[in-house]
Amino acid sequence: MGNKQTIFTDEQLDAYQVSLFVRLSSRLHGRYHELAPHLVPMDYTNEPDCKLPLALIVNMPELKENPFRNRIVESFSEDGQGNLSFNEFVDMFSVLSEMAPRELKAIYAFKIYDFNVDNYLCKEDLEKTLNKLTKEELTPEEVELVCEKAIEEADLDGDNKLSFADFENMISRAPDFLSTFHIRI
Amino acid sequence: MDGGLQREDPGASYFRESLRLRRRPSRVSNQLNRDSSSDEDEEEDEVDGEDQARELRNTPFSMALKKAVRQAQLMKMPVVSSSNSWKMKRSKILRQLKSSARDVVGYLTLWDKTLQKIGGNFGGGVQSYFLFLRFLVVLNFLSFLLLAAFVIIPSIIFSRVGTSFSNTSETLNLCADCAAECMEYEPNPQGLRMFYSYFLDLLSGTHFMEYTYLFYGYYSNTVLEDRNFSYNIPLAYLLTAVFYLAFCLVCIIARMGTAARVAVVTGGSTVGNYSMIVFCGWDYGCLGDRATKLKQRNVLYRLQVDLEEEALKRRAAARTLKQRVLLYSLRVAMFFVALGLIIAAFVGIFEATNFSQENRQEEGFLSLLLEYLPSIVITAGNFVVPMLCDQIALIERYTPSTTVILALLRAVFLRLMSLAILLITLWQQITCEGDTESQNCKLCLYNHVDYPCWETRLGQEMYKLTLFDFLVSVAVLVLVEFPRRMVVDNWSNKLVQWFGRQQFTVPANVLELVYGQTVVWTGALFCPLLPLISVVKFVLFFYFKKINLFNNCRPALRTFRSTTSTVFFLMVLLIGWCLAAAVVIYSIAEIHPSISCGPFRVSSNIWSIVPSSILNLSEVTQEFLFFIGSQAFAIPLCVLSCVVMCYVIVLAAAYGKSVSLLRKRLKMEGRDKQFLVKQIGELTRKLQIPNSE
Repeated sequence: MGNKQTIFTDEQLDAYQVSLFVRLSSRLHGRYHELAPHLVPMDYTNEPDCKLPLALIVNMPELKENPFRNRIVESFSEDGQGNLSFNEFVDMFSVLSEMAPRELKAIYAFKIYDFNVDNYLCKEDLEKTLNKLTKEELTPEEVELVCEKAIEEADLDGDNKLSFADFENMISRAPDFLSTFHIRI
Repeated sequence: MDGGLQREDPGASYFRESLRLRRRPSRVSNQLNRDSSSDEDEEEDEVDGEDQARELRNTPFSMALKKAVRQAQLMKMPVVSSSNSWKMKRSKILRQLKSSARDVVGYLTLWDKTLQKIGGNFGGGVQSYFLFLRFLVVLNFLSFLLLAAFVIIPSIIFSRVGTSFSNTSETLNLCADCAAECMEYEPNPQGLRMFYSYFLDLLSGTHFMEYTYLFYGYYSNTVLEDRNFSYNIPLAYLLTAVFYLAFCLVCIIARMGTAARVAVVTGGSTVGNYSMIVFCGWDYGCLGDRATKLKQRNVLYRLQVDLEEEALKRRAAARTLKQRVLLYSLRVAMFFVALGLIIAAFVGIFEATNFSQENRQEEGFLSLLLEYLPSIVITAGNFVVPMLCDQIALIERYTPSTTVILALLRAVFLRLMSLAILLITLWQQITCEGDTESQNCKLCLYNHVDYPCWETRLGQEMYKLTLFDFLVSVAVLVLVEFPRRMVVDNWSNKLVQWFGRQQFTVPANVLELVYGQTVVWTGALFCPLLPLISVVKFVLFFYFKKINLFNNCRPALRTFRSTTSTVFFLMVLLIGWCLAAAVVIYSIAEIHPSISCGPFRVSSNIWSIVPSSILNLSEVTQEFLFFIGSQAFAIPLCVLSCVVMCYVIVLAAAYGKSVSLLRKRLKMEGRDKQFLVKQIGELTRKLQIPNSE
């Protein structure tokens, strides 16, 4: 990484600071830079428009072993394909930091677990989540049973899938959601 | 930036709507404030700007969109006057100060980073054990500061300074009409002793260690009176001990309050189990390949255990009457077997304590063995009986969660009761079983032959228990855990691999801590430096257990739920506190203090120093204190507390009812929404068909 300093103007830093929960420092930009040193410029005063592809972002040590890494990056990217500009990169770590409020985290958690992006957590979404969680070690009957029970527990409006309201209601009863949905950088 | 606006999925509009509706009241109140007065306008705009910024941070817009909105907000704000710009700078500086203060606090908090690492690698249950350990370290340290400030340091100062001040008067009351034999107290025997006896004395707190600030017997009942300053050491000793216990109780209850609040909000741990595991089970902070795999296995195991419990419940419901009768009779029989085991352990401790007290005249290592005999028997009992109870639990065939709770309760009962038995045995010996006419107790109302300074002896027993507890843990770590790990890692025999590495079982370790803390509370009255010793012990424990955890253990597959477990640990600690409080109260109120040593050598019981001091206060204070102690005050207080408690219980029940009502309403709203959506669909179809014709 060397000892090059990131160049932002003061207004830019301020604008970031107001919108973020994580402290913007040259370290954060340094992490973004070292993912693709030849693509990312050090001088950000002219707001360059560069995006890093999904394959590079998921190589970060904080995300490498996370089973949901692809979905995390896709949820924060504007094009839905996982290409993150620096703004979105910083946004991602801001929401995943420990100071972001519960409602904001719940919104993004819902997006992450919604594999088919239809704004509902249906049975297939749950099955994919469960398989990623347990590395596919459960038998198909057990997966079926767990998904059924999970939907049964959380579904309030009886449509056999979880809308955001159901998800948020369930999250509100989880005391360690805030501490588990948290990546340190 | 355009891309952000184009990707307008229906879900995002829902998010924005719900957030907008939630924000509306604050907007309205800001509007009202703005309209009310014009000179407060600029300040309100400033505050409103801050609020707007905070709200903007909470929205799920993309970063670029947030920046654009922020620009628009800034443009809408009025021209910044000089006072305004100063205010904005001030708020910016405050914000920066707050975030750096938060960093500093995080840095200063004891072991913060280590606890995070433990939580990430081994889960919330193990982390709650270490959090509990940290709580005990802080509690003991504060207690030590309390005792040092009011008892130990004044004693040291007065013993050095006492005779050099011409205006002070030191009253060293000696009992005028006590028999001479009662005043004999020779802790340091004369004559030649073997060199290793110093080491033995260090371990058992006798001889050269006995007549030191460590034990009760060294403190004298000086009352220092200067011109406008008087300090009564016995009174300070007693009141500090009482206040120390009360302070610990307040700390425990405060901590339990915060933990219980979280546990209550989640509405019990069995509701929403599967959905909770699926959506909140993954710890995003997990780093590294090994930790991730462990976490996945952990989640898998939790799900499997829950599924197994379901299957068990179904099987239990399907049992025939004959099977049920057999099972229940088996359970009752096993309950009596467990009770019998525990009682056998108690009898063993009783006999060991009596034997140890009777044969104190031996020399050398045999004497050390006899000194430590009660501790050895207690530790052996605490090790063997739970193992046997585990085997019993296999026959009882309860559900896994019930089995864990039962095992814990049995272990708690065993540990704390064995301590109680030890103390009762000692008391019986000290007071000659209550018989004041027996030969040893006739002269001084306590057994002055065997116990010339019984408080010091009690303090020594607690000291030995603490030390032995610590030494056993370290010995187990060095002699059992490390070799086990080395054997498992280097020998690929099937049997050895099945045996596997040690699991870090949280409940057993927590019980150890509770037991240690109860011993400290019991012994603090008689051994004022015991909190300091236990601070050192717990700190060393932390590091040893951490090393053990990271090097030798695999995570327990059976995880303890961290929220309810904190409340459970604190409740068990409270039980230990009650036991310690009972011991201290009994010692203060009932037993005649030693005549030959200690700050209370003149009184007939330890508590009597308080009434005699009250008589020295002014009339008004005396009357006030007597009134508080009388029934005229206590009974109305009792009645008032009952009324307040009833009110709080009724309030809690009302809130619980309203929560379940609201939940039902949520369900109804969802169904209404579905119904309306269907209606809309039908209506559009009806309207479209005539149009298409």
